[in-house]
Amino acid sequence: MKALVTGAAAGLGAALVQQFLSSGGAVVAIDRDELQGGGRLVPLVADLSDRDSVDALLPRIVEAGPYDFVVHNAGVSATGPFEQIPPQAYRRLLTLNTETPMVMTAELLRSGSLSKGAHVVFISSLSHATGYPGAAVYAASKDALAVYAKSVRAQMKKRGVHVTTVFPGPVRTAHAERHAPAGARADQRMEPKDLAARIIAAARRRKKVLYPGPQARIGHIAGLLAPRLTTRMMRRIIFEKLDRTVY
Amino acid sequence: MNGMPTALITGGTSGIGLALAQRLAGGHCLVLTGRGDGAGLPVDALFVKADLSRPEEAVETVASALRSAGVSSLSKLILNAGTGTYAQADAEDAATIRRTLDVNLVASVLMAHRLAPLLEEGRGRLVLIGSVAHRGSANMPSYAASKAGLTGLARSLRAEWDGRIGVQIIHPGPTRTPMHEKAGYDPGGLEKMFFSADAMADEVARLMETGRPGATVIFGARIRRLLTGKPS
Ligand SMILES: NC(=O)c1ccc[n+]([C@@H]2O[C@H](COP(=O)([O-])OP(=O)(O)OC[C@H]3O[C@@H](n4cnc5c(N)ncnc54)[C@H](OP(=O)(O)O)[C@@H]3O)[C@@H](O)[C@H]2O)c1
Repeated sequence: MKALVTGAAAGLGAALVQQFLSSGGAVVAIDRDELQGGGRLVPLVADLSDRDSVDALLPRIVEAGPYDFVVHNAGVSATGPFEQIPPQAYRRLLTLNTETPMVMTAELLRSGSLSKGAHVVFISSLSHATGYPGAAVYAASKDALAVYAKSVRAQMKKRGVHVTTVFPGPVRTAHAERHAPAGARADQRMEPKDLAARIIAAARRRKKVLYPGPQARIGHIAGLLAPRLTTRMMRRIIFEKLDRTVY
Repeated sequence: MNGMPTALITGGTSGIGLALAQRLAGGHCLVLTGRGDGAGLPVDALFVKADLSRPEEAVETVASALRSAGVSSLSKLILNAGTGTYAQADAEDAATIRRTLDVNLVASVLMAHRLAPLLEEGRGRLVLIGSVAHRGSANMPSYAASKAGLTGLARSLRAEWDGRIGVQIIHPGPTRTPMHEKAGYDPGGLEKMFFSADAMADEVARLMETGRPGATVIFGARIRRLLTGKPS
């Protein structure tokens, strides 16, 4: 079993790598930060928010394949009033969160780097169900990724590859800590380890979508039943409490 | 410019954008963008040549053209320019994916970001032209993704800008414009079922008057046009 994980150095990515390794798999782990390799862990260094870096990485990914499990996990947010975040931050965010997973998926398909029976997982966000005032471009990037995943599912299936899209709510990571509004409670965020286990299990059960945990399930249902009200509530509990701009 | 409100339409040189420009011409000062030479546009319209596949430069070009023309407020910013390629996931190369995302999504984000102060000044509204494909399309995955991105942007920005700047997204159904040929798609006999660009622009203009936050122009519009004797 060989897995490919992006954003592997911290948070959910690191938890995924650990679980793949401890279940006896090999992992090709991509991050901007150099990871300690060895054994069944092959680290690749690349800045996935930079096109040239991605282009240089693609042949190395293909060379290190084929893969049985791919998780497009790397992502960043940009929180604060829409106009106050610099355009360069939006560009990097859209490249990292949306463009790179798409370019990578197309290349994995084209080069035949996905084994028969492989799982490809896209990490979107619960914002797909709820909207995210105060992170409008992050929300856009995650909606785009979710719909890309949905669009490619049928063709991937013909090749024996199964696609799962995950819509996590808040996760207890340094990333979430940086972007949370003042007074947000960390104990309500899901542990990366717990989330990683749920993601692997859901992909293996060939679920199309996963809303992990009660918070995400409630958000999903609220968004389905009352989309506008839910987004207005998000404005109240997030946007109006944001006390800083983080990107 | 004179006392009329100003509307800026990206991709105002062809298809739905051009038809919409012709419709708005009487009551608006128009600013239209595209990559061509601006021939065949409504007289009086200000044409700005800008290639949205280079979003950062294009946004600069548009902003400075507005400044030179003395436009300091906008009543409508209609982000309509769009492009796509008809290809399944494994046939989309990196350049195609990037161009589609740049023109449809990144340029829209950066344009809205840059021109938000003008919209606020004009108590205006951001109008995004999406597509029925925003829910997913096996034959145009990155196009579908880009339009879903616009949908997500509209939803969150609308809540964020509540009371300051309006945000509306309109999803056209299939329309007879040069887009399909450019995308490498031949609709064949299906094209007869498409809206004409004029009919679509008519529907978009009507929806813009209602200010509804989001709308899809497809079956309902067709039935209403049939019943009221308007051509589709
Ligand atoms: N036709 C349909 O069936 C349909 C259905 C749903 C949604 N839509 C959407 O409706 C919008 C208008 O499409 P349309 O059917 O009217 O297509 P169209 O006739 O091909 O017009 C597209 C417009 O976008 C501009 N554009 C494309 N690439 C550009 C670039 N790189 N830089 C600057 N401008 C660029 C074009 O201007 P230049 O060529 O002058 O650069 C043109 O004015 C698009 O957003 C499209 O996605 C169309």
